Amino acid sequence: MTEAAPINAVMRALADPTRRAVFEQIANTDEITVVELTRGSGVTQGAISQHLKALKQAGLVVERPEGRKVYYRAQPQGLEPLVDWMSHYGVFWRERFANLRTLLKEMDP
Amino acid sequence: MNDAALKPDTQDIVVDEVFPHTPETIWKTLTTANLMGRWLMMPAGFEPVEGKHFTYQTRPAGAWDGTIHCQVLEVKPNERFSYAWKGGDEGNVGYGSRLDTVVTFILSKVENGTRLRLIHSGFVLPNNDAAFKGMSEGWKKVVQNIGAIVDGKD
Repeated sequence: MTEAAPINAVMRALADPTRRAVFEQIANTDEITVVELTRGSGVTQGAISQHLKALKQAGLVVERPEGRKVYYRAQPQGLEPLVDWMSHYGVFWRERFANLRTLLKEMDP
Repeated sequence: MNDAALKPDTQDIVVDEVFPHTPETIWKTLTTANLMGRWLMMPAGFEPVEGKHFTYQTRPAGAWDGTIHCQVLEVKPNERFSYAWKGGDEGNVGYGSRLDTVVTFILSKVENGTRLRLIHSGFVLPNNDAAFKGMSEGWKKVVQNIGAIVDGKD
């Protein structure tokens, strides 16, 4: 039950297609400014700023001020509440293979 | 494996590694309960016999008690071993959602040991969404799932 809140926050943040597109664009770069995000987006800088605020609140994006600019970067941990079966097992099997290697070395040095 | 390729809505996890040991030694670790317990998880009621049912206990989620229900599908000593791997609950999203998959281990002798391929197949994913192309796989998939869940609710 404790996980319900962050899942809802993340889902709400990504429910809006424009905001999802903004998030995707941030995730595709190392760091990006509001101006760069606005360029070619078809929406105003104010609208982008609002989307960034929502993404920040959901823990999907972090900001780094530098001089007069603010750089945004995606935060993969924000998606953790939604990690699905497949990524779970992707990690699971790689870890287990590492265990297996250790066990085999013990059994058959 | 080609079966899975024909089903566009399921995907496989593949881990493929070479171990400096014989197929016979590796086979033991895949098919002996107490050895499985040392690298994978301790199975309950396991026997490497086709048709045999067994379980693994994992972390519960929502209405699901965390039990993975398995059934041995194929036993070809030192070559191929597969079992059904089912669990989860309809009511869960992400971890703990319904799961109906198959785990297959394929062993083959190579020059310096044994190549072990694990194929965990049958993950049902939402349709691809072009908007998320270019993102790394894990991210793309998670975000797609969110899109599918959210779109479904609209």
